[in-house]
Amino acid sequence: MKKPRQAPSPLTQLTLVEACDGVAKGEISSVDLTKAALSAFDAGDKAINSAIALDRDEALAAAEGLDKLRKAGRTLGCLHGVPLAHKDMYYRAGKPCTCGSKIRKDFRPTYTATAIERLEQAGSVTLGTLNMAEFAQNPTGHNAHFGHCRNPWGLDYCTGGSSSGSGAAVAARFIYGALGSDTGGSIRLPASICGVTGIKATQTRVSRHGAMPLSFSADNVGPLARTARDCARLLRVIAGHDPADPTSSSEPVPDYEAALDGEIRGMVIGIPTNFFFDGADPEVQQAFDVAMRVLEARGARTVKLAIPHMDAINTYVSVISRVEGATIHAEWMRGRPQDYAIHLSGRLYAGYGIPAVHYLEALSRRGPILRALGREVFGKVDVFATPTLRLKVPTLAATDIDAGTAGAVEAFNAVSINTRAINYMGLPSVSIPCGFDSNGLPIGVQIQGRPFGEGRILRMADAYQRDTDWHKRRPNFAAG
Amino acid sequence: MSEKIERVVKEQAATWSSVKRPNAAGEEFAAGLGGVQRGFEKRRGELAFEDEPSSFEAALQETKERNP
Repeated sequence: MKKPRQAPSPLTQLTLVEACDGVAKGEISSVDLTKAALSAFDAGDKAINSAIALDRDEALAAAEGLDKLRKAGRTLGCLHGVPLAHKDMYYRAGKPCTCGSKIRKDFRPTYTATAIERLEQAGSVTLGTLNMAEFAQNPTGHNAHFGHCRNPWGLDYCTGGSSSGSGAAVAARFIYGALGSDTGGSIRLPASICGVTGIKATQTRVSRHGAMPLSFSADNVGPLARTARDCARLLRVIAGHDPADPTSSSEPVPDYEAALDGEIRGMVIGIPTNFFFDGADPEVQQAFDVAMRVLEARGARTVKLAIPHMDAINTYVSVISRVEGATIHAEWMRGRPQDYAIHLSGRLYAGYGIPAVHYLEALSRRGPILRALGREVFGKVDVFATPTLRLKVPTLAATDIDAGTAGAVEAFNAVSINTRAINYMGLPSVSIPCGFDSNGLPIGVQIQGRPFGEGRILRMADAYQRDTDWHKRRPNFAAG
Repeated sequence: MSEKIERVVKEQAATWSSVKRPNAAGEEFAAGLGGVQRGFEKRRGELAFEDEPSSFEAALQETKERNP
């Protein structure tokens, strides 16, 4: 019989920004926050399976050091003393980094990811590593090597992937925020499916140095947390040019959080008339429509418009990450294909059949298509919004390709249909919770802005969260 | 396409990359490329002579938010 969890510490119910502020004011210690997070994992993660490894002693030692520093009148930055945990694909010098795989289970990188360094330089405590899809390559959260991550809102349901542990651990109130990564929706899908907030910034906005590669043209580093304000704080810390990643943009990073004033009067939200709602579940459609009414009540205006070149975008996006992933994994696909999960080796295999001329066509059309979006979409609206996931959250069983479930490949591919197109466009996109379906699983809306318009989409997300409480609701799952 | 795409994928993967079909799921994912291939057929004529991958970074700058 499943037993109820121990009552969680009130400290774990704080948002990241509330926890940071509490430490800054001396009302809470970093050690207390870190102990509360570790206790929350201990009490609930047997059921959720969101963690891969927790560095308990090291995290507590770091927290003690940060508390001493604060008592001495010094703080490192805007995350001083707050514990985070991250998708297990961010390199930390000398630490295991499994990438959710058997192949890299003993891998210990010799350097640390820039995003992790920046978070720690801002005062965060790194608690450990979180479960993920193997090599960040599935949108559902299945993992054959570390066990599937479970959705705190319904343990038989997908968490979304590939940042499965990041979404589930934040939703379960184990942790205040987490890095995920997004190549085709891997931040926004677990954010939507687990009922939290997640942002994929503009392509090139955040350094990828020390992040496991999946697809160098479409990979993005970004945060999941409980609120848009939490994400704004985390993104500001990690964004900006990094000499170690020459592809990272030198575009200045604004203070996203300072601009969150709830003011969206006059902003125009585009609602696509093509593609993004095709076959949408009526419950998802209804939750989306109600979300738009909330934003209209704050003074935004919605207009319907067509997103140009969607057929081309969907053709092109489907080859870029497949070819790049197949290239990265070629040595292992030749030498030890049996060490991948079935769905992953099967998916990678198809990538070897795509001609190079089509891959380069897909990359070469990206600029012209983005320019067309600039004219035909952002010439008329400030942002456009769609459901993050068109369908109700599927079960783990229905999408389990490795188990040979009939229709699983189709169901698996359907999960990321609304998110992956955005990666081709390179646009910033934030997913926020906007309701629950009849199975009790969260529904999300994703909002896209112009390149480097993270501030605008975060402002809209924050405005929405001022008038709704979906992001405040907590799952009530049994301890397992 | 007259040839079955699964066979094309199998031959290309073996010829160019020495990668073998790992399992039945690989066949299913390869079959899914049929729709992608048809998508490329429809795109013929859209790629301009001067288009190149680096134009994407330039387009990010040209279309960026001016009042972030």
